[in-house]
Amino acid sequence: MFLQLLIGSIMLGGIYGLLGLGYGIIYKTSGLMTFAQGELLMMGAFLGFTFFKLLKLPFIVALLATIIIMFLFGFFFEKMIIRTILGKGGSVIHVLLATIGVSIVLQNLAAIVWTSEIQQFPPIFNVEYLELGTIKVAPESISGIVVAVICMVLLHLFMNFTRLGTAMRAAAQDSSAANVCGINVSFAKGLSWAISSALAGICGIIIGPVYGIYMLMGALIGTKGFAAAVIGGYGSMYGSILGGMIIGVIETMTAGYISSSYKDFIVFFVFIVFLVVKPTGIFNEKIIES
Amino acid sequence: MGHHKKTCVSVLFIVLLLFMPLFLGDNAYLMVILSLSGIFIIASTGLDLLFGYTGQMSLGHAAFYAVGAYTSAILTTKFGLSVWIGILMAGITSTVCAALIAIPISKLVHMFLALVTIAIGELAYQAIVNLPDVTGSFQGVKKIPMPSLGAYVFDSFSYFYIVLVFVILALVAKQRIIDSRIGRAFIAIRDNTDAANAMGINVTYYKVVAFAISALFTGIAGALYAHYMGFISPESFTGDQSILFLTAVLCGGMGTFFGPIIGSLVIITINETFQALGSYQMLMYGVFIIVAVIYMPEGLIGVIKKMNSTLLQVVKNVVAKT
Repeated sequence: MFLQLLIGSIMLGGIYGLLGLGYGIIYKTSGLMTFAQGELLMMGAFLGFTFFKLLKLPFIVALLATIIIMFLFGFFFEKMIIRTILGKGGSVIHVLLATIGVSIVLQNLAAIVWTSEIQQFPPIFNVEYLELGTIKVAPESISGIVVAVICMVLLHLFMNFTRLGTAMRAAAQDSSAANVCGINVSFAKGLSWAISSALAGICGIIIGPVYGIYMLMGALIGTKGFAAAVIGGYGSMYGSILGGMIIGVIETMTAGYISSSYKDFIVFFVFIVFLVVKPTGIFNEKIIES
Repeated sequence: MGHHKKTCVSVLFIVLLLFMPLFLGDNAYLMVILSLSGIFIIASTGLDLLFGYTGQMSLGHAAFYAVGAYTSAILTTKFGLSVWIGILMAGITSTVCAALIAIPISKLVHMFLALVTIAIGELAYQAIVNLPDVTGSFQGVKKIPMPSLGAYVFDSFSYFYIVLVFVILALVAKQRIIDSRIGRAFIAIRDNTDAANAMGINVTYYKVVAFAISALFTGIAGALYAHYMGFISPESFTGDQSILFLTAVLCGGMGTFFGPIIGSLVIITINETFQALGSYQMLMYGVFIIVAVIYMPEGLIGVIKKMNSTLLQVVKNVVAKT
């Protein structure tokens, strides 16, 4: 029982961590915050569902197509909406409100396009479960963990060992200095929104087969992803993965050993306690308090 | 807008509203819209004090709305207390709750505050759903009584006057607070927290006060809602409700006297008129928020002011030419 729960919590933790990464990347490069991550996750799930089930494409193709669309969506979202607001002299709060608006639009657009009922994502693999020693595990949770780990490794390599990644980190540290050095800061900012949108889309495809897809699927997950980012240290890449794992474990263990109706209550309680007691998170990112 | 002008407009508005039921005759639909708008005005005025004047964002005001509604509903249905005491207790409990919550979270800046308030709204919702013995969970609280005055028991028509009295009280209180020492502290904190701190304003203290006052308004609005509807269930206190309050404040124009009034009237009218549209209606809100943020960050009040000043300019130009 414990091992089974642990695998479940690692998968869930990976999702929260990936979502948290998205929040962190945006915050690091542009100092802005978004509320739309959860809805981008939902959108990714619906896109994957459309490609995989309705258009009957192979899973890998569906996954890649979703990632590309989500990537472009994030990029243009930043260009069209965020840039316009900032250009008109809007503040962080205005951007935040606009992302709330976008998430409401996405939710209801999804309900109109795909109906508001829960859609079942068809199983990706032919086997029903894998036997790991004495326990049975759904192949989707294993593939979820694998995809999440791959994403994290790729992102780590991208940020640390490519020119573009270095440019993004430079833009994050000091955007005007980076600009003077010839780095296209505006492109780097767009890229950060694009990457976090793509990450959210991937999370959607991972979680779709496990929980089913519906218009409100992202609402809670998005907030928990934020909680992951805060617990780890807002803006820290590795912190948010750790934070995601912590939340995943708390949530799954509460559901497994106490009662599933209290799991959200406890997760949000822990989140609030963390924000109040240690707002800089485990990795001590000193950016939260004014 | 000068004080005199503001008072004049308000008095005119109130007199108009007092006689509104006479003009409308028995148009129940419009009375529903007016009563609900009134309740909404009280709630969003509370949010405006916090968000518009003190600069502290809250996306969890449905929590205080819920605390008010459930306090009054439970006290009157289970303990048989008078509705007036219920409303009073609703105000007190939501104020106390808000102050207790605000003390630890007041050090957070706006965006993290926004997130923590979302979490608080979610906690409140989960609490309502998971405490069936107290709140009835999804079954809700039924048969919440109407208030009475002596032998007279209000009905859903005359209830409008109670709402109106509370709206006037709320607006007068808001103006009094803004014009006082407390209000100036709020505005100083909104405009520049560090400078306010340097000037000797106890920032944490005033942030907590802003939360408490804001929740007082919203809690009373929640109680008024409960007694008006006669039935409450968790569905009325979701995150969507918090976003509606915020949209009302934004749409009207935050940090202004008339902003929340106009915003509430617009939102409730849209809400009640396009109920049948379902998803399309929420979609409209979403688009509306985006458009409002981009094109009219100062809300409808800002648009009206701009139109006024252009008109004035045109008139001045014409006068100058002749």
